[in-house]
Order: sequence, then structure tokens, then C-alpha cells
Amino acid sequence: METVAPFAEAIEEIRKAGAESTRLCFQCGKCDVYCPWNQVRDFSIRKIIREAAFGLTEIEGDDIWRCTTCGSCPSICPRGVGQIEIGVAIRRVAAEYGMFPESVSAVRNASASLVAEGNPLNAQRATRAEWAAGASVAPFAEETDYLYFVGCYFSYDPRMKKVAVATANILNRAGVSFGILGSKESCCGESIRKTGGEQEFRDLAKGNIKTFIDHGVKKIIVSSPHCYHTFVNEYPEFMVNFEVVHITQLLAELIEDGRLELDGEYAKKVTYHDPCYLGRHNGVFDEPRQALQAVSGLELVEMPASRDDSLCCGGGGGRIWMETPKEERFSDLRVQQATETGAEVLATSCPYCITNFEESRLGVEGEKAPEVKDITEIIDEVISGKDDDR
Amino acid sequence: MSTEPVTHLADENLGDVMVVGGGISGIQAALDLATSGFKVFLVERAPTIGGKMAQLDKTFPTNDCSMCIESPKFIECDRHPNIEILTYTEVDGVEGEAGDFTISLTKKARYISEEKCTGCTTCVEYCPVEIPDPFNQELSPNKAVHIYFSQAVPLVPYIDESCIFLKDQKCSICEGVCKTGAIDLHQQAEKLQIKVGAVVLAPGYEVFDPKVRGDYGYGVIENVVTSLDFERLLCATGPHEGEILRPSDKRHPHKIAWIHCVGSRNVIEGAHSYCSSVCCSYIQKQVILAKDHDADTEATIFHNDIRSYGKDFERFYKRTENLPGVTFIRSYVSIGREIPETKNVTIRYATDAEGVKEDEFDLVVLGVGLAPPTKVHRLAEQFGIELNAHGFCETNPINPIETTRPGVFISGAFGGPVDIPESVMSASGTNALTGALLKSRRGKLARDRVYPPERDVSEEEVKVGVFACHCGANIGRVVDVPSLVEYSEGLDHVAHAEEGLFICSTDAAQQIAETIREKGLNRVVVAACTPRTHEPLFRDTLREGGINQYFFDMANIREHCSWVHSKQKEDATQKAKDIVRMSVARTINLEPLEEFDLPVNKRCLVVGGGVAGMTSALDLAEQGFEVHLVERSSDLGGMARRIQTTLEGLDVQAFLDDLVRQVYRHPLIRVSHGATITDVSGYVGNFVTTVESEGQIKTINHGAAILATGAAEHRPTEYLYGEDDRVLTQLELEERIAEGEENLIETQSLVMIQCVGCREENTNYCARVCCSQAIKNALTLKAIKPEMEIYILFRDMRTYGFKEDYYLEAARKDVKFIRWEASEKPSVEPAVEEGRQVLRVTVPDPILGSRLAVDGDLVVLSAAVIPSTGSVDIARKFKVAMNPDGFFQEAHVKLRPVDFAADGVFMCGTSHYPKHLTETISQAHGAAGRAVTLLSQDTVTASGSVCEVEENDCVACGACISACAYGAIEFHETPIGKKAVVNPVLCKGDGLCCAKCPTNAVVLKHFTDAEVFDQIDAALSATEWS
Repeated sequence: METVAPFAEAIEEIRKAGAESTRLCFQCGKCDVYCPWNQVRDFSIRKIIREAAFGLTEIEGDDIWRCTTCGSCPSICPRGVGQIEIGVAIRRVAAEYGMFPESVSAVRNASASLVAEGNPLNAQRATRAEWAAGASVAPFAEETDYLYFVGCYFSYDPRMKKVAVATANILNRAGVSFGILGSKESCCGESIRKTGGEQEFRDLAKGNIKTFIDHGVKKIIVSSPHCYHTFVNEYPEFMVNFEVVHITQLLAELIEDGRLELDGEYAKKVTYHDPCYLGRHNGVFDEPRQALQAVSGLELVEMPASRDDSLCCGGGGGRIWMETPKEERFSDLRVQQATETGAEVLATSCPYCITNFEESRLGVEGEKAPEVKDITEIIDEVISGKDDDR
Repeated sequence: MSTEPVTHLADENLGDVMVVGGGISGIQAALDLATSGFKVFLVERAPTIGGKMAQLDKTFPTNDCSMCIESPKFIECDRHPNIEILTYTEVDGVEGEAGDFTISLTKKARYISEEKCTGCTTCVEYCPVEIPDPFNQELSPNKAVHIYFSQAVPLVPYIDESCIFLKDQKCSICEGVCKTGAIDLHQQAEKLQIKVGAVVLAPGYEVFDPKVRGDYGYGVIENVVTSLDFERLLCATGPHEGEILRPSDKRHPHKIAWIHCVGSRNVIEGAHSYCSSVCCSYIQKQVILAKDHDADTEATIFHNDIRSYGKDFERFYKRTENLPGVTFIRSYVSIGREIPETKNVTIRYATDAEGVKEDEFDLVVLGVGLAPPTKVHRLAEQFGIELNAHGFCETNPINPIETTRPGVFISGAFGGPVDIPESVMSASGTNALTGALLKSRRGKLARDRVYPPERDVSEEEVKVGVFACHCGANIGRVVDVPSLVEYSEGLDHVAHAEEGLFICSTDAAQQIAETIREKGLNRVVVAACTPRTHEPLFRDTLREGGINQYFFDMANIREHCSWVHSKQKEDATQKAKDIVRMSVARTINLEPLEEFDLPVNKRCLVVGGGVAGMTSALDLAEQGFEVHLVERSSDLGGMARRIQTTLEGLDVQAFLDDLVRQVYRHPLIRVSHGATITDVSGYVGNFVTTVESEGQIKTINHGAAILATGAAEHRPTEYLYGEDDRVLTQLELEERIAEGEENLIETQSLVMIQCVGCREENTNYCARVCCSQAIKNALTLKAIKPEMEIYILFRDMRTYGFKEDYYLEAARKDVKFIRWEASEKPSVEPAVEEGRQVLRVTVPDPILGSRLAVDGDLVVLSAAVIPSTGSVDIARKFKVAMNPDGFFQEAHVKLRPVDFAADGVFMCGTSHYPKHLTETISQAHGAAGRAVTLLSQDTVTASGSVCEVEENDCVACGACISACAYGAIEFHETPIGKKAVVNPVLCKGDGLCCAKCPTNAVVLKHFTDAEVFDQIDAALSATEWS
């Protein structure tokens, strides 16, 4: 067994980057027990925290990049340790020294793309609003009620663009006054911050905030729980306070108020997956379910690990950009769980979850894995009675 | 049917003290107060007194049957002329001030008349409504009308609100079947107003309810139960009569998991941040008992520190650990899943180096914590007292029995999670404090116990009554009790034989007394449990029945029979018959014996002038008793002289100076310094102690003694202590800090090592205070020099109770904690680091998986608290016992924590066991409270079962004198020469002298040759005796 000594300079540097709460840990092991990684391999967030407390972090290693920031361990930590803040702090130090292991190299690309084009997907800023062509979407103007902040995946990713279109349809059908910023919209910055890109985040946030203020934005609808999370919990660091609502919350409200009539039928068994950033991080569990249960013919079933216990899809913490070996994907387990409920549709409301589930479902042999749908896609089907190809 | 409740001013609504809460603490307080001459109202909101202790199966660390040691106290309360018990009663309002409170109460309607009810339970049999039994944690059904538990006091049922009549006015079957017309379905609640001089609040605690947040699947997963549920499952009076059957399929679980800290040590909302103090030990107890029930049980215990800080706890822990099939795993856990086919439950836990594992269990037991009692805010408001941040009673650190309102005192767990001994100590402490407040009223409202006149049976034919007890299922499940009764009826001289379910219950005991009178019985055999717990109760019952109490014998057919032969029912039944036959044979020969009333000298001797001794002395003096305080050193103060502060921030020296000043000023306290006790003789009520002090020799006559001889600090022989002057003990560190902060200028870092000189093979105890002291010193240092690096190297952090909050605070201030295991202790070596001379402490860190080397300018050792050097000699002089670790041995570790087995001598402070200052103060009040129960009497009664010398047969060989450990025999001159004579007051009746005497001159009354030999003969020849 080797002998090590605490490394004071490292302790200080990591602490200053945000890892104050390493000192609270009393090594009870509960974080490891709850961490989804330990369902697919051995991984000890407890050890990472202990190492950070003594400045012994393996800064070049893979492990510090594993955390998906799902929020399970901080929600049960008896000492109130901020595992996510500690993880981000370590990544900030690693990022500052440019230490990205091979499996994480995609973060560098994402970062560069964000700086250059305001999105992590190497897409062009100028084409950000192309998804909206033919979908009756107007630019946000002074009198517009809601800014619909679309988000990078919904703007550029082929699968997710469908969700943006469905969302626009719903908003129009319900007579909601909304508009988009198009190419003036930049990535919300949530995920790059979680990979230690603090400066990139600040630049993106300040840019967005300035744009919002210049346009007189007061209320914002988001499709991504990650955008929701950062607008609600992190943008206030810049002394702003916008009214933010996730599309599922608005849906529930519109249905309840009778502003959105669901005339059609959706006679399918559906199971709902709580995205970490909507459910566990921000407490939005009921509204998505209310929206689904308002649909005629829809049978909602729960997976065993639901709500607070929902199994992370593996996309948070910037891992949506990283390579995860097939046998280590949480989303495979999740799709298996959904299949076991006998559901025909796995519904959720997050771009990372949908991306991961779509990939995972392809690997399910024999039994037919459920279709993966965003809630808005389901609602869209029953408000206009339209079929799948539009 | 709601009319106004009847307002009813009782004639006797005037008392001295009201004790609110009838658990073990309230009961002890009531008994001590009542015995000391005060009229006590004991108020309890449940249908019976007993509290949580009544729900326990056994108590750690002795594994005594909880009800067996508690229920005799119920009957003591019930029979005590100075105690009025008000059950099913709640407080409505409080007015007045110390010395003059007026308290309004509501006695809820039981719908049963307590006066008419005989406890026959016919109503229970006929009631058609089943409800989940609250006493059995709702794990089994009971009826809407039922007695709370079998030993209830009063032994009267109550009708739960599920009663059909109460809800819909339908059904009154119970009314119809009751033979005495005791059911009153229109009974109203009664309002009472009672005036007292002082109040003792002992409402206890509530158990943390994991159902609220669905912790660990409780309430959803069937085979997840709480520890209190499991306690009932273990208990022979429980849902399955002592068979551990798991909820889902009622099968025996073989693989059981216990989870520590459920609801405790947790900052998340809905849980409590403090440590609940007792769970580590009660879990170990449950493991031991589960294995008693089934030796093949596999037990896994998931924890994060084992808090075995109390007396005998560490041994208990090791005992549990050494049982086969028992595994301790250091990890908090989550529930994996419930397996649908078997309803087994999986648990996920973390290992140091092998990742997260999942294991499957038949049953999971949650170690739930202790929370403030229900409706605590209402109680606090009514009594005008403050609660602390955790919702427990706010107490004064230098007097933990005081609340924020004068005249209102507290005892027990209401002040914070504590174990039973602490609850009993503080209960006795309330006697000391209320006594000071109410001393002018002592005796004015008190009444004496009046027994019926004792019948002279010398001319009567011997008539033995045999009462055979089922003890619920404890005896009844193994021994065929009806057959035993039938057999007994056939024995010679047996005039009456009957069986009972629980003969110790108030009603049954009363029945015995009545049967004695009705049938003219003059001998009684109770075939039941052990005389150790129940002999006094039944002897008292014989007095109630009008015959001499020594006509009683107890046939133990439980510990000696059903409990050890539980799988051999037929043989056990035969053995029970043999035991009863033997008992009857003995009883025939029994003689009536007199007990002695001895005068009580009202002076008290207190040995030891530390905080404990001084506190007791002041308590006694405040109540008007003269006290001699003897201290062997030249100054008062003891160990506290070396302590500056406590975790809670008390200025110890200021407190100490004030205490010393009070002692010197008090006219009733005489202090002797530089004192040596040269001789102690005498007996309870009449001791004579010789003290040499400052050149004088004093002879002190006193009725009681309190030994408070303190403790010492172990001098370490490891970690370079004594070889390198940079290695200190915690006390030395504290002194260095007190001498001046300049001493710390050079100290950039400091390493503390815990458990030095204890928790090892030859010192198998925990010194209790060191974890907290280390944190205290660390926090003091951080306040002076925040940048100082402080490391605490521990085995288990034993910051129990509210001290857990300080552990968290230390972590917040960046004190670093490193755990080590006994298999590889830390090594301490001098080293040089960047030009700086340091001490390098190296120890494996289990989570890092490497050895961690930390440097300190100082190394501070948490050296154990060890017995004081003088205690052995004092123990010998006072003829009191010591425990294996060298601390004083109390009469009963749970229920008599300040009494010695030797009557009239009490103990308190660290001479009993290491403890914190506040705990010492509480125990000192307790010792004084107990001493007062003796000193407030004019006489004390000594046992009649003592030895006597037949002088004509004595040849003065002296063998008896050398055999007696109590000095109870000596020679005296008689007209027929030198003869041995027994001092009946000192004699303990052990009979050693009788065994030694070559001429059979010494006789042990109540165990004469005739009695013993007949008992032996009866054992050997069944036919002759039946």
C-alpha cells in the first residue's frame, strides 16, 4: 500500500473552484449506493470526494468525468455535501489545464462550437431557426407574451426538431402568444458549465440575458429541462429574474384552463420517464403526468423507479457529448425497464433522454421496445388528429 | 352525544408534585418523591403507566426482560399511599408559579368505571370490533375494548373510538356481559383541577416514523419493519407470542438486516441532525435476541460508526460481533427492490474497495431514532417552557433537570435522546431539586402504608396456596399449567391451587391477598418467574393478605424451566411439577420472621469534593440535611479544575468557582481537606466513618454515604508520549491553550489520535468523553487560529445525542477526520518537512486505499478516562462492589444506576463511569435524590432472613467470622463464655457462616436445615410428598 500526503496547493485550488463542501463528507457510502453508475460498473463518487478533500484527485483520469449530475446523491446525502459542485470544481481545474482524457475529447469540440456558433453541435448559428419553416412561428417582439426559448438540440437535431414543431403547433392551437429569437438565441450554457467550462457558460449566459433584456423578454417557455434548470437556478446569479415555465407545466395549465382541447384519442399504454433535470432537480413531477392523463384512451403506467427515484438516462453533466461504452449505458437499463411495464410508448420531456433512449431501443432484441416520444408529440397528435407523418 | 364534560373538583386535589408522564422516568420520580414524603400525582395520557420501556422485550446490556424489571414498579406506585395515578389524562392548562401551581386536566372517558372493573376481560372476549393493537405496533389485532397490556396499572380496559356504539350508537354487547356493571357507554370526560407546588415533566419521546417520507420502503414493502415493531415481534407478549414471524408470510426470517441511523444524523428535511444515542446498542441487543430465538439466524448490520459509549456497551458490542453469522458493514444503504415471488428485500451497500454490492434479506429492521414526544409544542406552551432547536426541552447545562420555568423540572428523554439509566438518574434528581423547593411541605400530605394486622398462624393447620402463572406464553407455551395446578392440588397440605395469565398484574396480586384471607391460607407458593424481580412484590402481597411475608416461596418455573427447556414440553411440565413439589415441601417449614426497624441518622457523608460530590452535598444541605464532604486533596474541584470549557461553551472555571463558594458558604456542609478515610463501619442508617484530615481525626456518624471519588487520565505508553514533548494528552492541550495563545504561534498543524488506552483487549470499555473532547478542543483551536490544520484520527466518532451537531460543526470548520482500524494503528515518527520539524502520523485511509501521512507540530492523544487511584480502597472500606473495569458497580445497571447493592451507599460522577460534566451533574442530583429517600425516613427496615447463632452450640472457633464478607459476625462475651453473635442489620443472609460452622450453631433464618433438606428430599422422592 503506498503512502500519500495531503497536497495543500491542490486542496486550495479545487476548493476555490467550488469544492468547499468536501469537508462535510463523513464517508457513509450512501452516494455510491444511489449512484446510477454502480448499476453498470464500479464507480465511487465517495472516493472522488475524499481524494479532492486531500488534494489527491487524479486530474488526468476518466473518473472525474463520469458524473452525469443526475442529483441522486446530493438528494440523499445526510451531511449536505454538494457532490455536483465538487465535481464541477474538479472539472474546472482540469479544463483550465486542458486535461481531457480521450473519452472526453468531444467536450473540447463542443466548447469550441459554443464559442464560435452558440451551440455545441457544430451547426451554424445562421440556421438556428430553420426548423420553424412552415410551422407558423414568429420572431419574438415587444408585445409577444412568451419567448419560446427553443434550445440547441430542438433547433438542430433532426429527431428533436420534430418536437419543436409539435410544440409550436400546440402553442398556436392554444392561442398562446409566443415568439422565438432565432439566430439570436445562444445555448443556455447549462451543460458546458457542468464540464468545467465556467467562462464559456458566463459568456453564453450574459449574451442571452442581454438579448432577453434588449427584446423585453419577461416570460420564457423552454422545452429542455436543462435550459429550465439553468434559467431558474443559475441565471439569477446575474441578478435577473425571468418567469420560466417548462412546456409540460404550460401544457398542464392550458389543458386545465380549457385553452387546449384534446379531441383525439391515443389508445396506447404509455410510461413516463422523469428527466433528472425536470423531476429530481426541480420538482416537476405532476404536470407531465397530468398532461398525459388528460389524453383520452391513454393508459399511464409507472416504472418501478419513478419520480425522485427515476434512473438517469446518462446524458447530463455533458455526457451527452461523450462516448459511453454500450454495456455502461444507463439508458439501456431504462428502456429495458420501460419494456417490462408492457408500455407501447416511453414518453418523456428532455432532448438528452430522448436521444439516448432512441439509441438504446435499437438494441432491444426480441420484445418490441416501446416507441420513444416527447409529451408534446403525443399531445400534438390528439389536438389535430394528425397521423405520424406531417 | 356531546354534552359538556362534567367539572369535578376532587376532594383531594391538593398535592406536592405533579409528575407528567408515566414512563420509567416518571415512575421513578414519583416513587422517589413519594418515599421522601411528598404527595404525588402521576399523570399519564395512555390508558396505563409504563411508557416505551413496557414495549421493549429486553433491555441492553444485561438483556433483562424489560417488563419484569419495570412492572414491579407499577405495583409499587399503585400501592404507594403517597402516589395518586391518573391515567388516560391530559393536561389542559397551567397557572401559578413555583410553590403554587394550579393545573387543569381532562381525564378522558374510558367508558369503564375504574372502581367497578375487576379486569376480568369478558368484555374483550365478546366485543365484535377488531382494531390494530397499538401496543403491538398495529401488527396484530385487538378489540375495540381492551386492556392496553396485561400488566397495566390500572388493570382496566378502555374503549377505543372505533367502538360501534361510540360511532353509531349500535351494539352494547360489552355492557350486557359485564358482571359488575362497570361499562358506562355514556361516561363523560372529567375535568380536574389540582394544586401542586412543583411539576416534573417526563413525557418521554416518540419514535421516528419512516412512513412519513417512505424511507426504506417502510409502509410499502411488507418485510421492512421498524426496530420497535421488531421488539414486539421478539416479545412473548407480542403479535406472535415471541415467535419472530415476518409480516408477508408469517414465516421465520433467517437472514435479517438492521439499518442504523434511520431519521438520525441527517440534515435533510424531515430527519434529525442529532444522534439518537441508543440505537447502536439496541440493534446489537436485537441481534443477540434474534439469534437466541434461532441460532441459525444470519444478521447483517449496516452502520456508520458504532456508538457503544456507555457502561458495558463496548463489551456488548464485541459480544455481538463475535456471534457466528453476524456481520457489521460500515455503509449507509438503500433498498434495492422487493422480490415479488418471495417478498424478500434487497439492500445495496458500499464497500471500501469492492464497489457497491447488493444482498438479499428475509427481513429488514430499521434502527429508527428518537424524536420529541407528540404534541410537544402544546406541552411547552401549557407549561411555559422553552424547547431547543430540535424540539426537545431546553435545559440548563449546569443543571439539566431545570427547565426555563422555575418550579417545573424535567427528567428522562424529554431533554434529549438518552438511555434508561440516565432517565432514572435524572428522575431521582428531580427529587433532590423539588425537595429543596418544597422542603417545608415534606410529610404534611404524606400518608403511611397501612397493612391489615398480621394473623398469628402458629396454631393453625398448614394450608398452602399454590398460584401458577402462565406468564403470557413464556411459561404457558411450554409447561402445561392446568396440569401443574391439578398436580399441586394433590400435594399434601395444599389447600388451594389456581392458575393465572400474569400473576404479577395488579389485579391478580390483589386476588392472591383476598384468597389468602378467604381460604385462610398460611403459606403461599407462586410458581412463576424469578424472585430477583418479583419476590418483593409477592411478599408485600402476603402482608396485604394478613400473614407474615416470610411464609412465601417462589418456584421459578420460567428461568429454571420453560425458558431453558422450551423444546421439551413434556419433560418441562414434569420438571415444573417437581419444582413446585419442592417448593411446597420447603414452605411447610417456613417460620414467620420479623424485620427490624432501625433508626436513621440524618447526616450524609460525601466522599469526593469534585463537581459530583459538591453538587450532591449542596442538594442535601438545601433540603436541611447535614453533610460531611471529605476530599483527599487540598482543594475542592477535582478533575473539573483542569477543564476550561465544554462543547456547549460553558465557562467551567467560573461555574466551578461558584459551586465551591456555595459549598463553603452553606452552614450545613462541613468540608475536610487533605482527608483520608481510615475506617468505615456500621450499616444503612447508622454508619460510623473515621476521617483523618489536616492533623485531626474525626468520627462521623451518618445514615447514608455518597461516593464521588472521580476518575483519572490514563498516561499513554505509546505514540511517543513521554519521549517527545510535542505529544500531549487532551487535558494537557487544554491547559496549554488556557495558559496563553502565544503557546500556539508555532503550531501550524495538529494531529489528534482517539481511543488511546481503551477499547483494547485488557481495557475493553469506551471512555465515552474523548470524541467530544477532541472536537471541543479542535473547535477552540479553530476559533483562535482558523488556518490551523487539525486532523482527528478516530475508530468510531462517538458524538452521541446532540453532540453530533458539533461533529458537523467541526467538519464545517475544516477539521479533517480520518478513520483507522484496530488492525493497523497510526504510527508517529519525527520528520522534517521543508525545514520544519514535525511529527508525521501515518495511517491507512480505507476510502483512499492508501496510507495517509499527515504532519503535526503537535500530536494530541485522547487518553482514556480511568478509575481513580483511591477507588479500590474506598470500595473495600465501604464494602461495595467494583466492575471489571475498576469503576463502581451499581445495584442494577439500568434501574438502579446510583445505588450500590449495599444499602445506604450511593455513587455519582466519573467514579461510576466516565461521563460529561452535565451528565455528572445530573447523576449527582440523582444520588442526592436517592439518599433523601433514605434520610427523610426516621427508620429503615432490615431483612428478616438473617443468621442467628445458637449460643449453646457455639464453640467460638471463629470460622464463621472469617467466612463473612460483610463483617456481620463477631465475638461477644456471654455468661457461658465467648460466643459468636450476628449483627442482623449487616447480615446479608448468604449462609456462608452456616456452611462453615462445624457444630451447626449458626442458623440462617428462612433457609433452615429443615427447610432445605425437606426441599431436597421432595426433589428426590415424588411419591412421599404427594
